[in-house]
Amino acid sequence: MHELPVVLDLIRVIKEEARKRGFQKVTQIHLVIGELSSIVDESVQMYFEIAAKDSPCAHAKLAFEHRPAMLKCQKCGKEFPHKKSFQCPDCGGDSVLVKGTGREFYIRSFDGQ
Amino acid sequence: MEVILMKELLEANDKLAEENRAYFSSRHVLAVNLMGSPGSGKTTLISAVARELGEIPVGAIEGDIASSIDAENLEKQGLHSAQINTCGECHLDSRVIRDGAEQIDMKNGIVFIENVGNLICPAEFDLGENVRLLAASVPEGDDKPFKYVPMFSYADAVALTKCDLMEAVGFDRANFFKGLRAVSQAPVFEVSLKKGQKTQGIKGVANYLRKKYESLK
Repeated sequence: MHELPVVLDLIRVIKEEARKRGFQKVTQIHLVIGELSSIVDESVQMYFEIAAKDSPCAHAKLAFEHRPAMLKCQKCGKEFPHKKSFQCPDCGGDSVLVKGTGREFYIRSFDGQ
Repeated sequence: MEVILMKELLEANDKLAEENRAYFSSRHVLAVNLMGSPGSGKTTLISAVARELGEIPVGAIEGDIASSIDAENLEKQGLHSAQINTCGECHLDSRVIRDGAEQIDMKNGIVFIENVGNLICPAEFDLGENVRLLAASVPEGDDKPFKYVPMFSYADAVALTKCDLMEAVGFDRANFFKGLRAVSQAPVFEVSLKKGQKTQGIKGVANYLRKKYESLK
């Protein structure tokens, strides 16, 4: 739902970076998105296609790299990615969220010419 | 040619959030970003905390998709309030906070920023607050910390509201705490503000905020 302001920010940043490097065209943008950042790929894609029109970013391919939130088992110490359950896949113990994981949300790189 | 950027998104929002933080700090104001579902009791919580805080002035910036019902209600109770209508946006962002803050023109006090009722999007946006307070109400169900991990994990403190309804709705308190403790160590205040009954737990919320206010530089 809240992807529009994010996409506008993304386009603003990429346009500026492309201009600095003298790129006429951006071909790919690589985004890293943590599971807990509540950002949906399809929504980003949809807004991007509309908002990037008539800019050097128009037709750029968006590549999404997902990062999970990590959990740590309180019983055996195993660290594992959060999927559906907070139960340790090894020993069945309860786990807690490893602080700061899954919150990534940044532009890793872009390709241009 | 590939260019490595490693640039945070939401940077524009975060920059304005820092400006808001500096603005509140220059006025010796504790800013509280109050989040929670629609109907979780956010506005009621603000009025009750304001009464409990007594000598510390309280103001409110009310965020809603439409209407000025909340700000008008709080004004009637003597709280300086500003209403921000987001016109469909599902959250408040740092850009609109400054307008609200200037409207209520508060110094030496606590300002609640009541976010749009929503358990998802508001968690993403730093508004320049000092404290993130989550109002989670009993009728929403005890499984919510398992389902809305971002919101529950980002909150600095949780007010579990409408606790008088625990029995009526079959709220499993232990399960709520199990889910919450998996993602957060935030203090929890169990609150009941049912009309005509003795209030519960509101002193805890007020004392928590008073301490935060007193520790402002």
